[in-house]
Amino acid sequence: MPFSANDLRYHLEESYPALCAYVQHRAQRYLGQLAFDAFETDQVVGHVIEYLTRIQLLGGGDRAPRTALDDLSNAQFYTFLNRMVQNKAIDRLRRRRLPMSTTGELEEQGNPDDDNDPLNSVVEPFWGDVPFANPEEAALEAVSRDQLRTLLKKCIETLSAAPRQLQAVIQELEELGAGELVREVRAEVSLDLDISVVAHLSQHKDHAHKKLRLCLQKNSTNLAVMLAIRITEYGTESSGTDELSVPIQTLTQRDLSLREVQTGLQHLTRAGLLNWQGEEVIHLTPAQRKLLTRFYEE
Amino acid sequence: MSDEFVGMPDVQGRDARLGQWLYQLLAGAPPATSAEPIPVGEDVSLLGTDYHAAFYPAIPNFARALLQRDPEALTHYAPLFFHLIGCPTCHRAYLETYDALRAALSDDARPATTTLRFSSTASLATTSSKQLVFLCQLLIGQARSVLRQAHREHGDEDIWARALLQLAMQLSRHIMQGSLRQRALRDLVEVASLYQTSTTREIPERGEDTLTYSALVGAGNGVRGRTVRRAEMASRPQEQVSIELRSGNLEGTVTQEGDMLILRLSDLNISLRGKFLLISIPLGTLLEPVRWLGGNPYAIRSAGLVGPDGSLITPLGRTDLLLSNAEERNLLEILFKKLDVHPLEA
Repeated sequence: MPFSANDLRYHLEESYPALCAYVQHRAQRYLGQLAFDAFETDQVVGHVIEYLTRIQLLGGGDRAPRTALDDLSNAQFYTFLNRMVQNKAIDRLRRRRLPMSTTGELEEQGNPDDDNDPLNSVVEPFWGDVPFANPEEAALEAVSRDQLRTLLKKCIETLSAAPRQLQAVIQELEELGAGELVREVRAEVSLDLDISVVAHLSQHKDHAHKKLRLCLQKNSTNLAVMLAIRITEYGTESSGTDELSVPIQTLTQRDLSLREVQTGLQHLTRAGLLNWQGEEVIHLTPAQRKLLTRFYEE
Repeated sequence: MSDEFVGMPDVQGRDARLGQWLYQLLAGAPPATSAEPIPVGEDVSLLGTDYHAAFYPAIPNFARALLQRDPEALTHYAPLFFHLIGCPTCHRAYLETYDALRAALSDDARPATTTLRFSSTASLATTSSKQLVFLCQLLIGQARSVLRQAHREHGDEDIWARALLQLAMQLSRHIMQGSLRQRALRDLVEVASLYQTSTTREIPERGEDTLTYSALVGAGNGVRGRTVRRAEMASRPQEQVSIELRSGNLEGTVTQEGDMLILRLSDLNISLRGKFLLISIPLGTLLEPVRWLGGNPYAIRSAGLVGPDGSLITPLGRTDLLLSNAEERNLLEILFKKLDVHPLEA
């Protein structure tokens, strides 16, 4: 019985047996010499089931947000599952250091399914050409890209509530030679502390790092930056005044939900950059406009 | 020393050092990853330390945005992107997702007619119990993660968590081996209690006289398992199917008369005799097909007093489920994983 991503989301009880049977069938195919090793087959099947649960597809119903997998055609979804199974099987074979069959060898085995098998493509090395294949590469991208760097700067600036922690981070950045970033931060926040008299510096640094980690992974920070850009871009001047007005619907566009926009606006209000209390249209004074522009200023 | 006086600034080198600093900052948290994948057959319902419900489900959308060369991908998914730098588990999932999604979305991906042709007579009855136990544990773990995430964000995802727990219960009824079924639902009571803390109905607090009964999974007579014949249970028909309850050395049963579920307790302590009891079934709200007497499964008042011999027979609620049906009995048995009894003054 065929099944789709939609079936797994809404009719798990009916479609789970078919998912298990299908993934197990493919796992045995890709496990080669380990095909009849029940433990190894379970490892592969379990990995795929766990993945689908963690992305909240299995039994997710209407509550779990839709993902890219929901938009795949059935054929694409099976290709996706096949690839997951194949990669995990290779992983298991590598762990057991057994020779792996290339796709070509599998084809030579004359499997009757081969003509239409979507996986008869060259098996590439693990993650060779995936962007950000390692975390270090991603970190470099984060500090090189303007908008992500802006987020980093905004998060560093939030440390100004704890001047010793901010000072500890600034010292670190100066030692790294990140003078430009330090200058940008110093332009936004005043800092009069003399680092030479700050005691327990490593402790302050640890606390600062923890705060930065949280801040960078917080959606509201990112949303706030994105919204600050959009408000200043899409705001229209009211006739006869210097005020800007922006209907919040115009901020959603294609990639932000209304809820996300509201979260971001609340964040900007808390930061003292807006006076938004849930109205449909945001009104900005020239001073607020200037602050918002600086909020994004790179 | 100012970098303005050392010739051309080494922008790439500076970025590299800053990138290294950022990586160390984000990866500096204690490692939250398990080195080995969770094998099927192991207990997995403690999904948690290495599962980040706020980020993991967004990975497929992020991977798709990168594959479609969306210029705003990194900005839109910045929190996830920063998270991936410091979380090996989510980073690995990103790599897997990107690769599989690329295969799925590639133009030369041929329609998987192999798959579409794939015919299977698979049903839950033929699905390995191990796979069912695994899924039940994952769903309960997922419910726990959803509740914790909602708690952190001051949100309310009780309905979602409840749906996941119900799904786990529904699936578990197809596991015919009692010990495996018990394993599948090991954390059900605990996770259910997490969401029940925010419900309006109050669960009576435990007192010194409170007795807690648990269902002896798979031990009920009639359908399978042992037949319990005790003199004090003789009031029920010989072949009546039941769910056996135990609290220390005290025993009880739940039987069915028509559509009514009947609780029978025996040998109750002398301090409870001549009193009404308040019966609390913590998992009672998880299953809609039971219409509990009084409407609140956390506080069902016994229909009569505990007899002088320490016995009590009292109705609990009506249901269309049949104890004589193996799968439906399994479902009812789950409800009685925990049953508390409190004394009420006569």
